[in-house]
Amino acid sequence: MPGARDVVVIGAGHNGLVAAFYLAQAGYKPLVLERRPQAGGAAITEEFHPGFRSSILAHAAGPIRADVVRDMQLERHGLKLITPDVAVVSFSPDGRVLTLYQDLKKSTEEIARFSPKDATRYAEFRQSLAKVSQVIGKALTLIPPSIDQPSKRDLWDMLQTGRAIRRLGKKDMYRLLRWGPMAVADLVSEYFDTELLRATLASRGIFGTFLGPWSAGSSLVLLIRAAADRHPAGAACFAEGGMGAITEAMAAAAQQAGAEIRTGVDVIEISVGNGAAHGVVLSNGEQIHAKAIVSNADPKRTLLKLVDPIHLAPNFVAKLEHYRMPGTVAKVNLALSGLPDFVALHGNTEALQGRIHIGPEIDYLERAFDEAKYGNFSREPYLEIAIPSLTDPSLAPPGKHVMSIYMQYAPYKLRDSDWETQRVALGDTVVRILAQYAPNLPQLILHHQIITPQDLEDVYGLTGGHIFHGELALDQFFTMRPLLDWARYSTPIANLFLCGSGTHPGTGLTGGSGANAANQILQQLKKK
Amino acid sequence: MAAAKQKYDVLVIGGGHNGLVNAAYLARAGKKVLVLERRHVLGGAACTEEVFPGFHFSVCSYVVSLLRPEIIRDLDLPRHGLEILPLDGTFTPMPDGNYLWRVNDHGKTHREIARHSKLDAEAYDEFGKAMQAMCRFVKPILGMVPPDPTTLSPRELMKLLFIGRRFQGLPSEDKYNQVQLMTMSAIDFLDQWFETDVLKATMSASGIIGTFLGVRSPGSAYVLLHHYMGEIDGAFRSWGFARGGTGAISNAIAAAAREAGAEIRTQTPIGKILVKSGKARGVVLVNGDEIQAEVVSSSVDPRQTFVNLMEAGLLPSEFLEEVRRYKFRGSSGKVNLALDALPNFKCLPGPGAHLRGAISVSPSVEYMERAYDDAKYGNFSRRPYVDMVIPTLTDPSVAPPGKHILSCFVQYAPYKLRPGLNWDDQREAFGNNVIDTIAEYAPNIRDIILHKQVLTPLDLEREWGLSEGNIFQGELSLEQLFFLRPVPGYAQFRTPIRNLYLCGSATHPGGGIMGAPGRLAALEILKDRKGAA
Repeated sequence: MPGARDVVVIGAGHNGLVAAFYLAQAGYKPLVLERRPQAGGAAITEEFHPGFRSSILAHAAGPIRADVVRDMQLERHGLKLITPDVAVVSFSPDGRVLTLYQDLKKSTEEIARFSPKDATRYAEFRQSLAKVSQVIGKALTLIPPSIDQPSKRDLWDMLQTGRAIRRLGKKDMYRLLRWGPMAVADLVSEYFDTELLRATLASRGIFGTFLGPWSAGSSLVLLIRAAADRHPAGAACFAEGGMGAITEAMAAAAQQAGAEIRTGVDVIEISVGNGAAHGVVLSNGEQIHAKAIVSNADPKRTLLKLVDPIHLAPNFVAKLEHYRMPGTVAKVNLALSGLPDFVALHGNTEALQGRIHIGPEIDYLERAFDEAKYGNFSREPYLEIAIPSLTDPSLAPPGKHVMSIYMQYAPYKLRDSDWETQRVALGDTVVRILAQYAPNLPQLILHHQIITPQDLEDVYGLTGGHIFHGELALDQFFTMRPLLDWARYSTPIANLFLCGSGTHPGTGLTGGSGANAANQILQQLKKK
Repeated sequence: MAAAKQKYDVLVIGGGHNGLVNAAYLARAGKKVLVLERRHVLGGAACTEEVFPGFHFSVCSYVVSLLRPEIIRDLDLPRHGLEILPLDGTFTPMPDGNYLWRVNDHGKTHREIARHSKLDAEAYDEFGKAMQAMCRFVKPILGMVPPDPTTLSPRELMKLLFIGRRFQGLPSEDKYNQVQLMTMSAIDFLDQWFETDVLKATMSASGIIGTFLGVRSPGSAYVLLHHYMGEIDGAFRSWGFARGGTGAISNAIAAAAREAGAEIRTQTPIGKILVKSGKARGVVLVNGDEIQAEVVSSSVDPRQTFVNLMEAGLLPSEFLEEVRRYKFRGSSGKVNLALDALPNFKCLPGPGAHLRGAISVSPSVEYMERAYDDAKYGNFSRRPYVDMVIPTLTDPSVAPPGKHILSCFVQYAPYKLRPGLNWDDQREAFGNNVIDTIAEYAPNIRDIILHKQVLTPLDLEREWGLSEGNIFQGELSLEQLFFLRPVPGYAQFRTPIRNLYLCGSATHPGGGIMGAPGRLAALEILKDRKGAA
């Protein structure tokens, strides 16, 4: 058949590239089709102002799962990860600063300045979190079992997980059971008295989700993220050349393994006949036939837009329409003529090398969330910031810097307004809040790039502007991601598979979904 | 003194409905049982009191539906005077002059909902069926002693297997709903079925009652199910009043217990639980009397039992830590009004059947969520969710002829007010705020009030011993349910102290006038005594 391929991968996001790599390694010849002019999806570096390059969306890695880094030999393909000593620095309006380091001892010394009790508790928390999230980590590498007919392998996996859970011992076993459904605000206040510390740790349970720290289930998000990165607050994991360097290395690895990547080609339809997918149609009319189609796009985009829903059972469509993925995050990238002066640091710029957290109190974070519930963006938002040019000068001209800012909450659906009219107001809000801590920031701004949830959907193809391809909630996790019993990377349409963040485990920049999917898809393809 | 010589098989702390059920089952099994109640009336929060001359208020709990049928049967409660009068429907007035009025009559309700949305009218039937399936799945779990998932004992694993098998057995559609009910927020769940805002708001209300959750908080869908239980065993078991007020239920249970030989004393406050060499031996009363017993069964909540009624140092520190961790967070208050006439609602004037059911102030989802926002930061809701009933329309005996009682359950009223505020100063403002809220829908309310009783969470704690005023003796949040209620590893009614048991709402399956904890605890106690005897 003309242009017949064995596997077509839709979307060259990091999960698509990981999946393509493993498929190629297994002897297939995957063709990866990317809509945008460059591969990388949400992990990209672009020059957004002459001489200034930034991680346009994601600015810190999950980090990438160790086995993925190993298998793809990402270092050999040019990836240099940067992990500064400072994990996160957190500012309080009263002028106090909390710095958490990679190093436990340095962190506890720092915390002791606030509360000696919290310092000891921090070590305990770190330990329990490590133990509990290790078990979750195991679950993240699993292919969720089939609920209706568990296979031998499912039962084996479950047995293994069961064993791992038992090894935790009674105390941590109950922690695991208790923590999942808890509000992260409760979890952190069970351990700590210092509000600034509480808020800094709790933010990990709400980042990228439509949850506030008081929302039940936000602890699960913290646990999932801790499974990828044991640091209680999350380490700062950057890449030399920005996040794009990660996906470039992945693309190189995939190509070397035998995958072909075509950019600037927009898949507008997945053609389906008698319940099976047999190819894709490009915007230029070109048709590409394939034995299997693997979609890195989110579940809604894949199954409700690219596939004609006529091919799906009405009640499956109804369920998928209720899959929750309203975005809550906006991104602001600043080109700066110099390094902003965070007054509270008294010139200690080393503290800025990690991630910067703005969100001093649990209630501050919760109030930010409240506004989003009623369709307004937070006037006093929670900010997650990086100044990557501090550890990687190549990103900006000498002496100049780039500042990458996640702003939350920015609800996808605004009440009686739209993002085009609110774009400027959003940028101003972010700068106003930051100026409270770094008063000279406004004068340093040479250029700003504002990416609203609408842009995330229109430009980067994230339905609803959701950076995780769907809410990380108890009811959209593991065997329920994206839908209960459709969590095994296959779809009701034969030969059509999912490999994006909308599948288990689906958090941040880890490559987990892509690797799991490839693993499962290979089994499926072998059967044929 | 003579009192010091007394010796009982089982001493039950607290004469609430669970304590009484517990005592009744134990007495029927031939145990010598003594129930000690601090207050002058039995029933705990399920009591009727003549607060104002001629007006008999169901002071706290005001409707019944969850009372386990096996308990009604076993204790033969109808013979002991229990009569449940049906409470028909829910009436939700709206600010725009419209309303939503659901009744038990299927056809009427269908037409009424169709008035708001034809789609929702169809979905409503489907929803009812789905919830019935869910309740059928959950009911046996309510009736079982929670397993301990951390042991490998066959008995415990069998229980888990039983639940697993039942879940396996569900049609995949029901599996899907079940998982969602256990994890979702009430609104996320209802959004999948309905489009009418006022319908979703009113239905979601039962997902927050007695919890510190908002209708959008994950976990509230389960509480929705918890309250749905009652609505399914046909008309008789649907929400209703007890003739003579809620206290009549407790009195019927007490009568059954006495008939079986249990002794019940009121106005007998307990000072401490007697513990010798790791074993409970009885109690010391506030007046110094000592009462010996083989077993002490406490129907009061864990904080009362393990912190207030026990000498320090008797319990493992880790256990105490968990008890301190256990979340109460009372979030509701009660306003009971003695009325000279019936309230007159703007949207549906005059007396009528719509006043005979529940009257719910829950006009929109945003209204409910904003009420929660106020509470999160330590204020009572400026515009609260109010669930009203007028028992006098169904049971005139509780008020003087021609007079009425309006019982208002109010949420949110957070136990912990923001710094600078305290409930003793806020009580008046809280009560007036509730009346102002009602007046927006029934303006004549202000002119017809004869007497007013305002209960804040602090009052519930002081007078009824409900820590932090939580009406369920602890939040019904996922991490405090089933084998995690009240304390991980101690969900089987036993405690670190031998012969000391819990039998109140703080144990599985939790709150509401259900009686299940009292019954299950009794059965566990009897099991252990068989071993001991």
